[in-house]
Amino acid sequence: MKELPGVVLASRNATVRYGDVVALDDVSISFSGGMIHAVVGQNGAGKTTFARMVSGLVRPAEGSLEINGRSIAGGNVNDARRAGVELVHQSFALPPSFTVAEAMQFGADGGRLYTRAALERRWQAHLDALDVKVSAGAQIRTLTVEQQQAVEIARALVTDASLLILDEPTAVLSPEGAEKLFERIRRLRERGVTIILILHKIREVLAVSDTVSVLRGGRLIDGPLPVADMDAERLASLIIGPSGREFAGDDLEALTGALSPVAGGADKTSAPQSEILSMRDLSTRTDGDGPPLNSVDLAVHAGEIVGVAGVEGNGQRTLVRAISGLADIMDGSLEIDGRDMTRSSLLARRAMGLRVIPFERNVEGLSLTSALWENWSVGQLLGRPLHAAITPKGLRQGCRAALDNWDVRYSTVEQRAGSLSGGNAQKVILSREMDDAARLIVAAQPTRGLDIGATAFVWEAMRDARRRGCGVLFVSSDLDEIFDIADRVVVMLAGKIVGEFRAPFDLASVGSAMTGARA
Amino acid sequence: MSANFSAIIRAAVFIVIALVLCGLIFEIAGYPGVQTFDAIIDGAFLRRNALEHALRWALPLFITATGVVISFRAGYFNIGAQGQFYVGAICAAFVAEWLKGYPGAVVVPLCFAAGMTGGALWALWPGLLRLRSGADEVITTLMGNFLAGLLLVYVTAGPLKDPSGSGQQASSRPLEAAYRISTSNGVSPIIIGIAIFVGLAMWFLVNRTAFGVLSGLGGRNPTMVKWQGASVWRIGLASFLISGALAGLAGTIELMGPNGRLAGGFLPAHGFTAVLIALVAGLSITGTAIAAFFFGGLASAALYLPVIAGLPSAAIDIINAAIALFITAKSRFVDRIASFWRRPWTTS
Repeated sequence: MKELPGVVLASRNATVRYGDVVALDDVSISFSGGMIHAVVGQNGAGKTTFARMVSGLVRPAEGSLEINGRSIAGGNVNDARRAGVELVHQSFALPPSFTVAEAMQFGADGGRLYTRAALERRWQAHLDALDVKVSAGAQIRTLTVEQQQAVEIARALVTDASLLILDEPTAVLSPEGAEKLFERIRRLRERGVTIILILHKIREVLAVSDTVSVLRGGRLIDGPLPVADMDAERLASLIIGPSGREFAGDDLEALTGALSPVAGGADKTSAPQSEILSMRDLSTRTDGDGPPLNSVDLAVHAGEIVGVAGVEGNGQRTLVRAISGLADIMDGSLEIDGRDMTRSSLLARRAMGLRVIPFERNVEGLSLTSALWENWSVGQLLGRPLHAAITPKGLRQGCRAALDNWDVRYSTVEQRAGSLSGGNAQKVILSREMDDAARLIVAAQPTRGLDIGATAFVWEAMRDARRRGCGVLFVSSDLDEIFDIADRVVVMLAGKIVGEFRAPFDLASVGSAMTGARA
Repeated sequence: MSANFSAIIRAAVFIVIALVLCGLIFEIAGYPGVQTFDAIIDGAFLRRNALEHALRWALPLFITATGVVISFRAGYFNIGAQGQFYVGAICAAFVAEWLKGYPGAVVVPLCFAAGMTGGALWALWPGLLRLRSGADEVITTLMGNFLAGLLLVYVTAGPLKDPSGSGQQASSRPLEAAYRISTSNGVSPIIIGIAIFVGLAMWFLVNRTAFGVLSGLGGRNPTMVKWQGASVWRIGLASFLISGALAGLAGTIELMGPNGRLAGGFLPAHGFTAVLIALVAGLSITGTAIAAFFFGGLASAALYLPVIAGLPSAAIDIINAAIALFITAKSRFVDRIASFWRRPWTTS
């Protein structure tokens, strides 16, 4: 279609700062046209910042940007768009109540009046041309995640973009959905569009991209390197860098998404014992926080890690809330350690040894504007009457001991929880939840947003709990992680458990259960 | 230095800015600005008996303001202190009327119990509405203020009306001298003792009990305490009841101390000044004591304004309002000045 230009995007000595934090440090890189480029790195390596800089959302403090041979001042979305750059965000920005056609029109050029039918005709043609099988009259909220993403990509291509940046597009997809996305991206490449993929997993990089560039700590380590002569091991060592930390072989592969398609369950030590959690035929009322549970049967034994896999938004949140006594249970029963707790409060369940590491670390897990010792001592305080006298000094000491024990980096326990990094904040929650009295630990996406070191730390904590005889329910949308850590995996789809797998896990069969191909 | 200290700096800076602005406004309006402040400072803190006059206003304000602190800390914006103050005073007045003739040692404690219960009940219904159905307590407690104000007018013009009263403002019959806990100057050992006791008790509640820590956490992040298994009901109701009871206590003190009777619409700004004091104090009990003394001084200075600067005494309300505006506004400039005393980690 279009003439292939030589270099589509070039940045020279680009540096981006957020306050005192240097997010991108002196990055000089150039991407040639008509190819699929992957940008990889750990959390906090600067991948998303790079995407935001190129698309004009943040302005580089130093350095220059050139797009299609034109020099761009940066920090202006419209400039970047006119130069042909479009960004598809990590979390979608489509208004759920809009129809597809309305959402596409929103942000496109022209302020003229349209009839609904004309609008839908116009955008249906565009969608058809891109082979997106979605009706332009459908409401966004009725679409699946994959369809929403396809619409996002189609919307980005409205303006004849020559450079499309996708920020972690596979994070919300099942393995099959990711494969379909890659197919779509390859077709776009054939049409002459240059694509930059911000990716997390080595397996995906090797599967789809032509070149790969590695960021670490805001610096460009290497790239763009041709993927053809790259292997998983070398890429993993580029991403992690020379760290003092030793990772177990499987952990390293799981961390970088290089795990082989059949894996897991190797380091299991003992046979499962008594049931710590047993849910029978449990259903909950619809409450606007994801799909309700629909006759869920689930057991977690002592000394076992059960992984809950599934595309996000398939009832995992409701499952965690139901176990925590924060969802309205309509039917079925829930036992903790053999005692019926179906109607018990969270406090009573905690007294039975339930511990929860909630999904939203910064909202459900910690009060960011409160002191560390206050955050840490809630659990103990709730066990006492409200008027009970406390000695803050004693609590501070207890907190200090626990945080040191968990290797939290902090300066004082009076510090606000919000001043910690994500990994340290998660460790504060672990130090609170994983005490000696813990029997059943529900960990909801406990490694999301953490760097590699902190992720490995969390896994080790879970394995420790298993060794001590706790039951662990580990919810994650990252299959590599689940395969590495879990002894048994259940898959959730639309509020149901649609499959159960034992090690060694097979990526293809778990993946197809996630999409409902084998319900 | 601590975050508390920088909060004090922050409040002080805002108060100075508000005062300067008010001075300019007075100057533009044709009143002598500098002289006005002279009058305020003189009247508030320097004149003979100024300390006593400042305390007369500061003590009840302090008691009501500590109640406001308790509910604000827990994340409930109970701005109904004014109504709870009125209802407390009304309940105490009824008890004093019914038990007329009994010895003071019996009646006075019962009046206090009634006043605190009345104030607590006037905070209970907005609390229940908030916790049961999520009705915004800012709206319900604000409406409660108007209802309580009308109730006061009804009571002073109806059941408790003093038939001998003449002026335009209806009022109740004066309390028997045996039931008064101070003369009309409003400062007595009993009142000072009550204020000190309330201050110590609330300081202990906030800093040395499970309630203090949990309500502070819940006020900043209710979701987090819910995920820890806290009962929002217990903490929430306790906060509403305590703040209402303290406003009712202040109402009882005003009735049985300086006022000696109920008058329709008396001290119409008491509850709002208390909210202002709590905010200026950054929701700390110690800070509340300091701020209450400052605003008590301003209130007593109001009497000198017409004499010295020719300003109507309502000018004090302008100053209060200006301070309220500044204290609730966010200012990066002042925050930076205040954070000069902070270590980096305490900034959010």
